[in-house]
Amino acid sequence: MIVQETTIQAKRLNANSQPFLLKKWLLITIALGFLGIFILVPLIAVFTEGLSKGIELYFAALTEKDALSAIKLTLITAAISIPVNTIFGVVAAWAIAKFNFKGKNILITLIDIPFAVSPVIAGLVFVLLFGSQGLLGPFLEANNIKIIFGVPGIVLATIFVTFPFVVRELLPIMQEQGTEEEQAAITLGASGWQMFFRVTLPNIKWGLLYGVILCNARAMGEFGAVSVVSGHIRGLTNTIPLHVEILYNEYNFSAAFAVASLLALLAIVTLILKSIVEWKTKK
Amino acid sequence: MGITIKEVSKAFGTFAAVKNVNLEIPTGDFVALLGPSGSGKTTLLRMIAGLEGLDSGNIFFDEIDYTYKPIKERNVGFVFQNYALFKHMTIFENIAFGLKVRPRKTRPSKNVIADKVNELLKLVQLDHLATRYPSQLSGGQRQRIALARALAVEPDVLLLDEPFGALDAKVRQELRHWLREIHQKLNITTIFVTHDQEEALEMADTVVVMNQGKIEQIGTPEEVYQKPANAFVYSFLGRVNEFRGSALFEDNEENIGYIRPHEIVLRKILQGNSVSSEVSHIHIIGSTVRFELRRQDTNDLFEAEMSIEQYQNFSPVKKGDILYAEFKNIVVFNTNSANEITLTEKSGIRTSLKSKLI
Repeated sequence: MIVQETTIQAKRLNANSQPFLLKKWLLITIALGFLGIFILVPLIAVFTEGLSKGIELYFAALTEKDALSAIKLTLITAAISIPVNTIFGVVAAWAIAKFNFKGKNILITLIDIPFAVSPVIAGLVFVLLFGSQGLLGPFLEANNIKIIFGVPGIVLATIFVTFPFVVRELLPIMQEQGTEEEQAAITLGASGWQMFFRVTLPNIKWGLLYGVILCNARAMGEFGAVSVVSGHIRGLTNTIPLHVEILYNEYNFSAAFAVASLLALLAIVTLILKSIVEWKTKK
Repeated sequence: MGITIKEVSKAFGTFAAVKNVNLEIPTGDFVALLGPSGSGKTTLLRMIAGLEGLDSGNIFFDEIDYTYKPIKERNVGFVFQNYALFKHMTIFENIAFGLKVRPRKTRPSKNVIADKVNELLKLVQLDHLATRYPSQLSGGQRQRIALARALAVEPDVLLLDEPFGALDAKVRQELRHWLREIHQKLNITTIFVTHDQEEALEMADTVVVMNQGKIEQIGTPEEVYQKPANAFVYSFLGRVNEFRGSALFEDNEENIGYIRPHEIVLRKILQGNSVSSEVSHIHIIGSTVRFELRRQDTNDLFEAEMSIEQYQNFSPVKKGDILYAEFKNIVVFNTNSANEITLTEKSGIRTSLKSKLI
C-alpha cells in the first residue's frame, strides 16, 4: 500500500513539477529549520555546555555522591511506577475495550485527568492528602509513615502523572481487535490466563511496549509533581531533574548540564526505541 | 451429541433477541438456523456455545443440563464469522492451540499433536500451508483452517456462525459441498447460521426458520419449501410475488397472496383466467429466464420465470410486448390467524392491488 501511495504521489509530482517542487522544498526547509532551532541546537548545547570544562569534570559531575543518589532514586521511581502503570493500564484498557458497563465514559475521562491537569497541581493534591496539614496527615504521623517529602510521595506522584500512557496506547488497539480471538481461545478450552498470555498479550505487545517506553521517559523526566512532594533533600529525595535544578540555581552550570545530558540521552534512546517499535508494528 | 433447547429467552436491554424457543436436535443432525438479520439465530447459536448467557430456559446436551456449564467444559467447536484465527501464530500453531492448552495430565505429547494437526491439514486439503500466517491466506483457506482448528479438540458439537458470509460466490459453492462431505465423514452434530436460504436448503438436513426471535418452522429443506407453515416462511424461502388487498379475496384486507415466479404461466394468446401484462424487462440468467411484467389492470409489477428451452419455443418476445399471465396456485395467508387458505381455481382473476417483488 505504501508503494502504491508513493507512486501516486510521484505521478502528482510529475503533473506540475516545477511549482510543486518549489513548494515542497520550501515546506521542508521551514519544518527542518524550526526543528533545528528549537530542538537540535538546544540538544547540542546541553552536551557542549556539559563537556565545556573537560571530560573529566563531566564524569566527576555524574559520579558525585548526590548525583549518584539522584540517579538511583530516579531509577527506583521508574522501576516501581512503570510495572504498576503497565499492570493497571492493561487492566483498565481491557475493561474498557472488552466490556460494556455503566460509567465507562466516566472512567475514560478519569484516565485522561493526569494529562489535563498541571503536574504541579497533581503534586499539591498529594500534599493535601498525605501532608502533615492534610486529610490523612495526622493518621500517617501517628503511625510514623512518611509519604510527603519522601520516596513514597515521589513514586505516587510519578504514577499519577504517567498513568495515561499505557492505557491510551492500548485502548485503540484492543478496541480494534474486538473479542473474537479471545472467545475462540476459550471455546478451544483455554483458561483465562492461557487466553491472556497466548492470545491477548501477543496481539498488544508492540502497543504495550510503546506505551511503556513513553511512560518510562516521562517517569524519569517528571519535574513539576515530583518537585512539590519531594522536599528537595539532597542525597535523599532528589531525582535527576530536581538535581539539575539545584545545580543550576547554584550557578554550577557545567555540572547541571552534565547531569541534564543524561536526560537528553534518555530522550534520544527513547526516540530510537520508539521508532523501532513503530517500524515493527507497521510490519 | 443431541441438543435440547427448552423455553429459552434472551434480551439485550429492551430488545428481545430470542423469545421462548424450543428446539430438539438429534445426534449427528446437520441443522441450518435460517432467518433475516435480527431474527435471533446467531444469539441462539452463541447460547448453545455458552458465549452468551440465557435469561430463562435451559439447554441440554444429551439430557445433561448445560445451561450454566462454562464454555471451556462444553467441548463445542465454534467457527466464527470472521474466522478469528490467531494472527500471530502460524497455521500449524493455530490448529494445535486447542490441544496445547490442555492441562498437563490430558495433554497429548508433541508428536501426537503434530500428527493430529497434519491429519487435519490433510482433511481440509491445506497441508502445504502449515508454516504460513493467517494474513497470507485467502478467505476460503482461512475458513477451512478455522474449521480444522475447531475440529482439533474433537468437539461433540460443531457450531458455525455465517460460515461462508464473507466469501465470493464461487468459493462459497465449493465450500458448501466440502462442508457437507466433512459432516458425512465425521458425523458430528452440526449447527450453522445463515441468512442465505439457498445455502440452508442446499446443505442442511433440517432447516429451522427463525424470525423476530421465534422459530417459524422446523423441517427438512423440502418441507419448508413445499409446505411453508406461514406467510413469513413462504416469502423468505425463494423468490416470490406478493399480492395483497381487497380485490384478492372477497374484500378481505387481511389476506396476502403469494405466488412463486416459476408458477406463473405466460401465454401469447388469451386463454382461461389470465391477466394481460406488459413486458418491462427480460433477464437471461444461465438456464432460467426471468420476466419483469406490469399488470395492465392494476399497474403492479410482478416477476415470472421459465426455463431457457421454454423461452426458445416462446420467443420472439421483447420489451413492451403484451403477454397473458395465469396465476395458478396462489397461496393466501390470513395475516391475523396465520392460517393458510389456498386458492386453486380462483386463479387471481381480479387479483391484487399491490404486488411486490421479493
